[in-house]
Amino acid sequence: MDATGSEYILSIKDVTKSFPGVKALGGVSIDVKRGMVHGVVGENGAGKSTLMKILSGVYKKDTGTIIFDGQTIEHTTPHESMLRGLAIIYQELNLVNSMSVGENIFLGRFKEMKGMHGTHTKARALLDSIGCKVSTTKLVSELSVSNKQMVEIAKALSFQSKLIIMDEPSTSLTSEEMALLVKIIHQLKDQGISIIYISHKLDEIFDFCDIVTVMRDGKVIDTKPKTEFTRDELITKMVGRTIENEYPERPRNPGENLMEVKGLNTRKLHDIQFHLRRGEILGLVGLVGAGRTEIVRAIFGADKVHGHQVTIRGKAVTIRNPKDAKDAGLGLIPEDRKLQGLVLPFSVEHNISMASIDRFTRFGFVRRSLEKGIGARQVQSLKIKTPNTKIAIKNLSGGNQQKCIVGRWLEIGPSIFIMDEPTKGIDVGAKYEIYVLMKEIAEKGGAVILISSELPEVLHMSNRVLTISDGRITGEFDPEHESADTIMRAALGLGGAS
Amino acid sequence: MNRLYRLFVQQKALVAIAVILAVMAFSGTEFFSAYNLLDMLNSSTILIILGLGVTLTVIAGGCDLSIGGILVVSGILSIQLQNYVPLPVALVLAVLSGTLVGFVNGFLVVHQKTEPFIITLGMGLLLTGVAQQLSDAHPVPATNPDFMNISNGYQFGDGMFTDGQFPGIPNLVIIMVVCFVFFAWLMRYTAFGRNLYAIGGDYDVARYSGINVITNKWMTLVISGTMAALGGVLLSSKLNTGSAIYGDFTALVVNCGVVVGGTSFAGGVGGIPQSVLGLLLFGMLDNAMNMLSIPSWYQTMLKGAVIVAILWLDSYTQKRKRETV
Amino acid sequence: MKQVGAVLRDYLVLVMILGLALLTAIVQPKFISPANLVNIMRQFGPLILVSLGMTFVIIGGFIDLSVAGTINLVAVVTISLIGPLGQTGALVTGLVLGSVCGAINAVLILTAGAITQAEALFITFGMSTFYSSIALIYTGGSTYHFWDLKKSPDMFLAIGSGSIGVLSVSFVIFLVALAILWVFHTKTAAGRAISLTGGNKTAARLAGVPVSRSIVLIYTIAGFMAALGAIVLFSRITTAAPVIGAGFETNAILSVVVGGTTLKGGKGSVLRTVMGVLLVILLNNTLDLLGVSSYMQWAARGAILVFAIWLDNRKEVQGNQL
Repeated sequence: MDATGSEYILSIKDVTKSFPGVKALGGVSIDVKRGMVHGVVGENGAGKSTLMKILSGVYKKDTGTIIFDGQTIEHTTPHESMLRGLAIIYQELNLVNSMSVGENIFLGRFKEMKGMHGTHTKARALLDSIGCKVSTTKLVSELSVSNKQMVEIAKALSFQSKLIIMDEPSTSLTSEEMALLVKIIHQLKDQGISIIYISHKLDEIFDFCDIVTVMRDGKVIDTKPKTEFTRDELITKMVGRTIENEYPERPRNPGENLMEVKGLNTRKLHDIQFHLRRGEILGLVGLVGAGRTEIVRAIFGADKVHGHQVTIRGKAVTIRNPKDAKDAGLGLIPEDRKLQGLVLPFSVEHNISMASIDRFTRFGFVRRSLEKGIGARQVQSLKIKTPNTKIAIKNLSGGNQQKCIVGRWLEIGPSIFIMDEPTKGIDVGAKYEIYVLMKEIAEKGGAVILISSELPEVLHMSNRVLTISDGRITGEFDPEHESADTIMRAALGLGGAS
Repeated sequence: MNRLYRLFVQQKALVAIAVILAVMAFSGTEFFSAYNLLDMLNSSTILIILGLGVTLTVIAGGCDLSIGGILVVSGILSIQLQNYVPLPVALVLAVLSGTLVGFVNGFLVVHQKTEPFIITLGMGLLLTGVAQQLSDAHPVPATNPDFMNISNGYQFGDGMFTDGQFPGIPNLVIIMVVCFVFFAWLMRYTAFGRNLYAIGGDYDVARYSGINVITNKWMTLVISGTMAALGGVLLSSKLNTGSAIYGDFTALVVNCGVVVGGTSFAGGVGGIPQSVLGLLLFGMLDNAMNMLSIPSWYQTMLKGAVIVAILWLDSYTQKRKRETV
Repeated sequence: MKQVGAVLRDYLVLVMILGLALLTAIVQPKFISPANLVNIMRQFGPLILVSLGMTFVIIGGFIDLSVAGTINLVAVVTISLIGPLGQTGALVTGLVLGSVCGAINAVLILTAGAITQAEALFITFGMSTFYSSIALIYTGGSTYHFWDLKKSPDMFLAIGSGSIGVLSVSFVIFLVALAILWVFHTKTAAGRAISLTGGNKTAARLAGVPVSRSIVLIYTIAGFMAALGAIVLFSRITTAAPVIGAGFETNAILSVVVGGTTLKGGKGSVLRTVMGVLLVILLNNTLDLLGVSSYMQWAARGAILVFAIWLDNRKEVQGNQL
């Protein structure tokens, strides 16, 4: 309890947030008690980071009330939020890499700290208070993730934060580093600071969180003291939902090996080896940053990688760039359609025809009539909502834009179709259509590699699932017959081989 | 091997200077004489003064290619205005012309969010045309001895090397040192300077920390313009003429010198001492080439090649930092 | 209302040209005199050729500041080779030389991994100095004249001042070049690849579009067109000083941007550049007729460049407010 008599440091009520085409938060209500470690669990896409960004001021909420420390907050900026005592430590870390530790802690407050000397002295004191031995003059770029987090915590402390939100802090930490973090969390709690701890890792939740909130699909499913949760219940609430008609049936009867990948090693990946069968959908499951995209980019020739072997239909192929990949029968729906997939100022037609220019070229000349046919064909078969194919693709909704990219590759008919987050930011109806498409591709004799951070999606669409953790393949599962929990554990690197 | 590579890249200027010194040591010329060293320092001063302002813009993540144009306009103005107003007023007005241009640059780049490289280039061209107009494309001679003394005078001596007596310190060098100390202090010990590093290092993080990114970045262009104008005045004084021809190459050389010293176009890294080192390199290169009696066109060619090599290396190191191609 | 604004913006250049022409004709009747019109048509040659080449670089998402240097070099080398290699030999060598200069730019940019327009700007700016100084070294500072040659170079003279029917040879060259380049840009796969590269390099690459090849192509075209422009230029004035190319890069970029091709890359057209050049030439002509000094003209062009870039940026900024 504090002077205002409020038991809660933070009260969120019925907060909603929508982006064009997607409803990220559909009425979220959470009450965070003072002096507690409040865990928040949920899948990627559950809405956790959207909620946090609203709290910190990066996004503006659409509706709902937020009361922090007795004050109702309307719109705020990240800086004001910090000043009020609400600090967030993001997964991507909000530090200037080219500057020193001390300066980062007091970024923008150089004068207040009375210059370099004051900055470094006070920074030193803060770091010592949490047991961090890093030198304040060291550049942030040279620090490990663990130490970077310490710097962020020190920064939060320098603002006399009353609530510190940690977003997936343990993703890149070793167990020793994690133990240190836990120690600090307890220390902060003793100082009366409340903590919101966002994580996938159930062990951590059960270890040091007091209260747990489960989020799913932009809503809060449940909030209870952790002692009242069982592990299974937690997982079920995280992933489970009625899924009868959300997904089509999996493709049946996968056949012989279509592609084999051996010996893939990069800075991030370690000895990746797997095969892909005809007629199957292979799902890659793992946390953000585990290496899934790196694997497919390496195979596709999008990154300069060598030393690995790729065999397609028994023959070795060399893929050094996307063109080689195309010729070998591969296709790729990239992770970020805006940056990597769409040529925004260009027409729908041009975007769809981009990968098949060879097909409508004769003697080097483009045949517009053939190109028009391609555009019309894909728009019709994928039911892309657009007034015509001549308008700029930036005018289409996210789902339809994604369909155009899918159509781009369908036109070529790759036998191996790699889809990296194909349904991100797309409405439910369009999602289903894409699922059906995936199934058709597999059933026509091709294969699909599916990367998705939505566990239900991967589990329901894939014939086989590979779990990736820390750049390694940690398991191979049949999602039809294995529990989501087992697969999740492997994806979190908690053991669970095939 | 990797460490050697990193050293080479980070200390490009030092390595290059070392190379030049080594070459000159065997050249059998008067390179290392006191007279020449002083002359070399003297001729680098204008570049350095320009470089001080440009460094600020580059650290904050931008650049200023209009300095050449500002330089020549203010140089010509500083002489011509003497026909209408007393010398001190003429000087102040000439310098203020650069401040004004810097303000406009700031508006276009920061407020209107236009690409700095090309728009300051356009501004520079505009100003070169203005300079030609003002001077009718003829060098404008200076006649006022007080004016000429600004850059050519010496303190504590008279500039002569007779009988081993101390020649004194050129005014230009004094001005440069004062400016250098001021800017070094500004970048290292003031909130403004440190904020510029933050802005260049990560614009969004800086913004989220409550730093006024717009105002600060705007200021860098105002300062850069002012320093360019100051350089113009000093150059006119030194050469006793104001001419429109010095603009073209200068912007390129200064921006490159700043980069070679370690202040990358990526922003957020480098500093005043590094930039000065890079510009000294160019001054040294000029001087060494003169000493070796390399004809002037070969000098330009060599300088062009050096500039391309430096920029190529800067881009290449950025590429290596990126994970994908 | 927004649509009217958009259409107006698209045809702004055309409107401005007509408006300017009308205004000038009223204020200064000499504008419509045959001599002046011929003068205007003649000026089309070198600048438009260089600008057409520059258009491709900008559509491809880059920029080329080396054209001045290329022009300098090609001009002096070509004239000097008329004796030893004959006119045709010299002509071909000049064109090849320009293309090579352009290709070198592309190679430097690709090997450095430069992906931004800014990086390309600096590198090509440096190369301009490099090429220009080679030109100076080559001629030893002197200017080459046609009248120094043993035999009068009739082919070059024809290029510079000859006529085919009612049109000047240089105008015909321009029309042919325009036709070829327009067809190349709009109707060939390679031209499409260039547009896609400028639109979104990453997306193009991932879709298997030959991005690196496109980059080499745009700079080679720019170099070739700069060489062609150089040849027309010195053929007309029958001399080649090693500084003959000065200012061309600015005028070319100005023409392209004013014509409506965006510096952001991807979208644009050689036809728009023609309008841009027309506007620039008309502007110069008007200022000349009004007695404005050539220096102020330079300044005016700089001002218009700044304005055009700013306007181009505004269009993009507004366009993204969807």
